[in-house]
Amino acid sequence: MKGKTIGLVLGAAVAFGLPAGAAQAEALKIGIIESLSGPQTSTGRLFAAAAKFVVDEINKNGGFNGAPIEVIEYDNAGGTTGAADKFKQAVADGVHIVLQGASSAIAGQITEDVRKHNIRNPGKEVMFINLGAEALELTGDKCHFYHFRFTTTAPMRVNALVNAMKKAGELGTRVYSINQNYSWGRDMEEATKAAAKVGGYEVVATVLHEVNKIQDFSPYVAKIKEANPDTVVTGNWSNDLLLLMKAAGDAGLKVRFATTFLDQVGNIANAGNTALGHYVAHPYNIEADNSDFPEAYKAATGHYPVYIEPQTVNAVRTLGQALKTVDFGGGDIKVSEIAKALEKASLDTPMGKITVRAEDHQAVIPVVVSKVIENPKYPVDGTKYGFGVVEIIPGPDAIYPVQEACKMERPA
Amino acid sequence: MLARIALIAGLLIVLIAVPPFLGIGWQNALTNMLIASLFAMAFNLLVGQAGLLSFGHAAFFGVGAFATLHLMGAIEDRIIAFPTPLLPLAGAVAGILVGAFAGYFATMRSGVYFALVTLAIAELFHSLAPHWDGLFGGEAGLSSMRMPWAGLTFGSPLQVYYLALGWTVVSIFLLWAYTRTAFGRLTLALRDNEQRVRFMGYNAHTTKVIIFSISAMFSGIAGALLAVSNETANYSLFSTHVSAQVVLHTFVGGSTVFFGPAIGASIFTLFAFYISEVTRTWLLYQGLIFVLVMLYAPQGIGGLVQTHIQHWSKISWPELGRAYAVAAAVAVCLTSALVFVVESFAIIFSPEYAAVRGRLDGAWPPFKLFGLEWEVFSPFTWIIPLGLLAVGLLLLPTARRMLRETWNHILERAEAARIAKSEIQLAGAVES
Amino acid sequence: MEFLIISTLNGVTYGLLLFMVSAGLTLIFGMMGVLNFAHASFYMLGAYIAYTVATTINFWLGLLVAPILVGLLGIFVERNLLRRVHAYGHAHELLLTFGLAFIFEELIKLFYGDFPVNYSMPDYLRFPAFTIFGTDYPFYRVFIGLVAVGMFVFLYLLLSHTRAGLVVRAAERLPVMAESLGHNVPLVFMGVFGTGAAFAGLAGAVAGAFFPTNPNMAIELGVIVFVVVVVGGLGSLEGSLAASLLIGLFSSFAVGLDWSLAGLLSWVGLGDWARSVGGLFTLTLSSISGTVPFLLMLIVLLVRPAGLMGERN
Repeated sequence: MKGKTIGLVLGAAVAFGLPAGAAQAEALKIGIIESLSGPQTSTGRLFAAAAKFVVDEINKNGGFNGAPIEVIEYDNAGGTTGAADKFKQAVADGVHIVLQGASSAIAGQITEDVRKHNIRNPGKEVMFINLGAEALELTGDKCHFYHFRFTTTAPMRVNALVNAMKKAGELGTRVYSINQNYSWGRDMEEATKAAAKVGGYEVVATVLHEVNKIQDFSPYVAKIKEANPDTVVTGNWSNDLLLLMKAAGDAGLKVRFATTFLDQVGNIANAGNTALGHYVAHPYNIEADNSDFPEAYKAATGHYPVYIEPQTVNAVRTLGQALKTVDFGGGDIKVSEIAKALEKASLDTPMGKITVRAEDHQAVIPVVVSKVIENPKYPVDGTKYGFGVVEIIPGPDAIYPVQEACKMERPA
Repeated sequence: MLARIALIAGLLIVLIAVPPFLGIGWQNALTNMLIASLFAMAFNLLVGQAGLLSFGHAAFFGVGAFATLHLMGAIEDRIIAFPTPLLPLAGAVAGILVGAFAGYFATMRSGVYFALVTLAIAELFHSLAPHWDGLFGGEAGLSSMRMPWAGLTFGSPLQVYYLALGWTVVSIFLLWAYTRTAFGRLTLALRDNEQRVRFMGYNAHTTKVIIFSISAMFSGIAGALLAVSNETANYSLFSTHVSAQVVLHTFVGGSTVFFGPAIGASIFTLFAFYISEVTRTWLLYQGLIFVLVMLYAPQGIGGLVQTHIQHWSKISWPELGRAYAVAAAVAVCLTSALVFVVESFAIIFSPEYAAVRGRLDGAWPPFKLFGLEWEVFSPFTWIIPLGLLAVGLLLLPTARRMLRETWNHILERAEAARIAKSEIQLAGAVES
Repeated sequence: MEFLIISTLNGVTYGLLLFMVSAGLTLIFGMMGVLNFAHASFYMLGAYIAYTVATTINFWLGLLVAPILVGLLGIFVERNLLRRVHAYGHAHELLLTFGLAFIFEELIKLFYGDFPVNYSMPDYLRFPAFTIFGTDYPFYRVFIGLVAVGMFVFLYLLLSHTRAGLVVRAAERLPVMAESLGHNVPLVFMGVFGTGAAFAGLAGAVAGAFFPTNPNMAIELGVIVFVVVVVGGLGSLEGSLAASLLIGLFSSFAVGLDWSLAGLLSWVGLGDWARSVGGLFTLTLSSISGTVPFLLMLIVLLVRPAGLMGERN
């Protein structure tokens, strides 16, 4: 409602600010349909904050189409039914671009809703920029022209981890795969198995466990101990990662963890020194950023960019680049033109260049592999630990092949 | 009686005529309201009329939704042709079949054990569904699209709304007709004294299974309507949250009155739609309202309305009006105080505020609420809720006394009228 | 062999944790016929209170203060809320506790946020109790187990060897008779409810330092605790202990077992067919380890509602 008020006020300001006789400029409306309440709140709010940071940036430089970009926040309450309801509300409010990232299930709901809406309302299309949902199917059998993914996927993260750790001599020859039993976890398991040949390792065992239900990981640690691996590859997040690592630390298990979400806010604080020496593959590491972005972000939000914030900033900045190449002359906004422009957009970031692959609308982004070290330049979570850069893999080397299941229909 | 029909007719006219003028957001909210109302009415058949408290009704709601999506998928892939408006029949069939099966086992027990069995059944669905890709689509769920039929595209929320309205009205009418049948009477008898029903020669278990199945059938229809509206369903429809919501709606609305659950469901759905954008603490308010209703108005809102209608002619409006005015003043004071405190705490304890404090090295900056700025540690801030609380508490005994006296008078007059009437009847009998 | 021993140890300690929470619930139900939906909320509140005290003053003080405050809250709930709806029947009491569980969860989210808080034991407690087969066994798990056993012994002795316990048992059996003999039965009810709540609070304070402390912990544990209480027998302390251990051990072992219906069918040569059908047949026990307790509860409720050691009603 606050965002709505801002939007209304801005809209009113724009309406009264224009000289009489000028045509009414249509403002671009961005709807952030995020998990702003419910268990994923902390992540959802990060997506919203990072997106708004960039929109403020763009608005300071004149906005788009002769008006500031309006941002409206919608709380999907962490569920797909809430997301469906809020999408309908967003359409009613005239939103052109939907942003979301905190859950693959919700992203699946939104992308389908967007696709169906566009079929039923030609000429009044809506676009969906996926900031953080990594399930492969979103650029696979659920792909469509108006969906863009600006984050990594399981194969990107696993391949990066395998290559970097092998180069550093810390991968070993026995790898254990433990993941959550849903689309993301299964993607991770497939990717780990697929990379075995290149990585020169044997997958000694694979485990899929229930999502966010397990309180006690010590039985799983016992199983891992039995298999005697060198490295454990896991895509777990939140409690599932934390409890797994804690249980491993408590049992004195000497194994290297190769994770994808170790940098989630609160993990290092909770894990403490049991996290030392473990690996993570992510789209951004602040230690490698010498630009003024970290300080500018801190000035605006009160903290250095963490976790999924930098990839969100890059995504919306790439959208900004695309917006620079379209001109509606203050008239009606055609989302199809923006989508076509976004396909061709690119952004230079401190980690490397970002482009968009036209076949499935997957952004080609660099992947950073980092390791938990003591006393870095930017310690995290109020501890003395942080993430040291091991290797930065450029986008074209990190990307995965286009999936056969993606049959994208292009607009005329 | 005539007044009741007029009221319902008036409501129907509003529900049919007004929505085209409302925005898509409101139309969607009204559709959700209809679905929640139907679900609550179906639930109340089991709880209010048969006296069987179920904590796992989400199972049948979800099953109805999934069955409908399978049918929608079949229509979309042109495997069969089926009229889109009749899609909820899939939900009805699934509901009645699963309901009969589950009900057979659940009704073997009663009371708390029955409630636990229904809880276990819903939890079984909830934990198995994400693993079962074929039937439930895994954790992403199933997704489909409404196909056009007979010239209607069913692409707009308004058409979906009218579809939901049609099915809800027909279903509620059928539920009402059910209460008028002998079997409906038997349902009430089952709640009041099961042993006597058995001694009358009925098989209590079979009766309960039938009632359970009917309740599950209408729950399945409600789930089907949700599937048609959202065009997706996933395992979260089986969660305890969904079962909990229908319980809340039914009892706040009043389970002893026929339309009670619909009233409760409508109020809460619209409340959620409106409030959830304004504040994130609305679930807390929902819980508080529920507990207050449980404590002070166990018949629910519907029960309160029913009591008023029952004693309509005996009410002295000036007296009641005064009592309600005072009570309303008390309610406004106490509610405002509570909302002020809760919203202030929500801001003060939020991570955003903590971030702002972090930037200011631990200072406590003022926060914005209701368009004004408030200092955290200033007495001027907290004097307002405290003052409202004091005024409310001071007036509370007066309000309670006035309400009690007014209703005593009403009930006395009702009793006097009843005695007078029976005396007349007696006199008439004696004379003849 | 190693897996067997470690899993047994883990299962026992997890089971003892479940017992700490379910003991109070089963006593309350046995005595008052009220299935307290808010019981797991007492567990959660205990953890959060202990967290607040531990981070501001002292960890051990938190373990002391949490059960006391939660017990007082329990007494307040029983006296002012439950008693008021007692006249409307068991269903209303059940619903009231249900609403309370809702409110407690939202209040915690209001004050502490909707994400886990960093409640953990002090560093000097973070050492291995012993090393077995090369794996360290953390001392704190043993500590949780010891607290649970201590609680069981305390309750058992209280109920069987003290006068107060005698009155409690009498009030559970025949409340009207006990009251007519001059005992203050409402006070007994209040005391039992408060004690049950206090123990759940203690369980939360102790376990919250080891397991994650977040607003969902009430729901997560709550449903399993119901399973334990039903399987053990509503009202039986010994049954509750037996069922907790059973479920704890099962959860621990199920993780390592990749049995499935397809595997079972391959004994009769239908394995490949079952695997090609997929769906229910290829679900492994380990992936549905969270589902089986509900199946168990369902079977117990249908076959023998009195549970393992409850009394036939």
